[in-house]
Amino acid sequence: MKGSLATSSALHALVLTWALVSLGSPESFDVADVEALPVDIVSIEELTQIQQGDKKAELKEKAAPVPTKKETPVENAENAGDNDVDLKNLPTPEEKPRDIETAAAPEKAEKVVQTSDSKPAEEVKQEEPASEPSTEVAAVAEAKQEVKPDPKAEATPSEEKPTADPEAEALPDKIPLPEMKPKLETKKSETAEKPAEKKVETAKAETAKTPDRKKDEKKKQEKASSMNETEFNSDEISALLNKEKAAGGGAKRSKEQAALGGKKTTAGTKLTMSEMDALRGQIQNNWSIIPGMADAQDVRIKVTMQLDQNGDIIGEPEVTAEGGSEAARRALAGGARRAIMKSRPFKGLPPEKYDAWSEVVVNFDPSQMM
Amino acid sequence: MEQVGLDAAHSVTLWGLFMQAGFVVKLVMLGLIAASVWTWGIVVDKTVSYGKARRQLDSFEQVFWSGQSLEELYRTLSDRQTSGMSAIFVAAMREWKKSFERGARSPIGLQMRIDRAMDVTLSRESETLEARLGSLATIGSAAPFVGLFGTVVGIMTSFQAIAGSKQTSLAVVAPGIAEALLATAIGLLAAIPAVIAYNKFSADAGKLTARMEGFADEFSAILSRQIDEKLQPRAAAQ
Repeated sequence: MKGSLATSSALHALVLTWALVSLGSPESFDVADVEALPVDIVSIEELTQIQQGDKKAELKEKAAPVPTKKETPVENAENAGDNDVDLKNLPTPEEKPRDIETAAAPEKAEKVVQTSDSKPAEEVKQEEPASEPSTEVAAVAEAKQEVKPDPKAEATPSEEKPTADPEAEALPDKIPLPEMKPKLETKKSETAEKPAEKKVETAKAETAKTPDRKKDEKKKQEKASSMNETEFNSDEISALLNKEKAAGGGAKRSKEQAALGGKKTTAGTKLTMSEMDALRGQIQNNWSIIPGMADAQDVRIKVTMQLDQNGDIIGEPEVTAEGGSEAARRALAGGARRAIMKSRPFKGLPPEKYDAWSEVVVNFDPSQMM
Repeated sequence: MEQVGLDAAHSVTLWGLFMQAGFVVKLVMLGLIAASVWTWGIVVDKTVSYGKARRQLDSFEQVFWSGQSLEELYRTLSDRQTSGMSAIFVAAMREWKKSFERGARSPIGLQMRIDRAMDVTLSRESETLEARLGSLATIGSAAPFVGLFGTVVGIMTSFQAIAGSKQTSLAVVAPGIAEALLATAIGLLAAIPAVIAYNKFSADAGKLTARMEGFADEFSAILSRQIDEKLQPRAAAQ
């Protein structure tokens, strides 16, 4: 038995050694080495809030304005540009002198004379969209600046704006009134020199751009209107006209290389969700929804309104309702309109982001408010 | 023991698994390996001894039935170490000689004594043949359970360690379970040959015992005839 035990032990030792050596470590599962797919979460804002820059500039990480040449005359200028005064607007390209057909329709001119009272305001309004060279936002800002201080416009915006705006947008290139004036001039005083007129024209077209110019212009318009009331002297028009060339742009000097990307720091603002919710909440607080209204669940309300810088509504808010029954749509849209009118002026909107909330679109789901 | 399933670099080699195992599991594994060694020792021993016994039976039967004188055969075998049939033959012949030389009176008593002597030797021989087969049976039936016990204990400690480490990734769980399962594997490794060997050797032992029993019966018949032949003339002479 001893011998066989020894044999068995030897056998076991052999087998175990073999097992330890050859069965060592089982092969690990061959996990396919899949390369992790890098996923970046890119918000759509990067595209929607994109800024326009120098198209010819090479692509760079940081957006930088075109380098300026002059020394800085203004201490704390915020907007880059070659201007002497720091202005928010973009510099306007000089327009080429246009040929003006003197054989324009005379009726229009007459009409202008007849409606001279409401003319300046209308004129200003029609000019703005036509002459705006860059982004929408900038234009909206200008519009608001213009509307506020203008004493004459007070009465007009609610009546005239809805009608005047579509027309201006439809025909942006045809600016009837600025051209009209010189025509008037040429009609009545034929001694005036043509090139000078053209210059004046272009200057006028450009003046709509900046607030400073605007004020000048407004003064001038006031003068003009007062003159209209008394006596219209066409010879003095050229003297009244501001012959200074309009130029936008800030006074801050830029030395960086121009890059693709915007130069306006104000263009990329938008309301945060909490600010949007605050606005929405103000409307909801004043909105009494009749509970149990049939089909109210499916109605979706969309409110589009234009706000001035005090948070008040300009004109009428546009309320559109979708889904649900006709009755529910009408009832809810009416309720929304009342709620908006009741809750104006809106508070808590950051004034520095006025560009973003000058025109607000608010969506409501009444089923969530019951 | 606390390190089970905790260290990052787990070796999954057999040796690594064994070394990582807990104390109880190690003990179980070592016991099972010892059982396996014992089993195979018995297997080797029995294979050899049964082969030898079979050969001895063959050769003895050949000699026995060759017509050689029983006295002569007895004389050659009596001073040797005997086993199996030869042991039965020697025991029977010794009893015969003792009784006959002293002048046995009753043939029935002599027959009985010879049979007894042969039975005792036969049982002793079959006991020798079947020795340690019982431990094979025990290993065959108990080893899987012992291995299972090791596995259960190993998995238990492994899960305790996982609960302590507060993470459940498969990489943490796997080595502990693999190491615990090794105990069952070793248990089965010991048990399967033990069961097979037990079945085979008990059958072999049964066959050999049957052969020896057959020889004992035959030899008893021969001796009975001899007793009759030898005692008859004595009785007639008296």
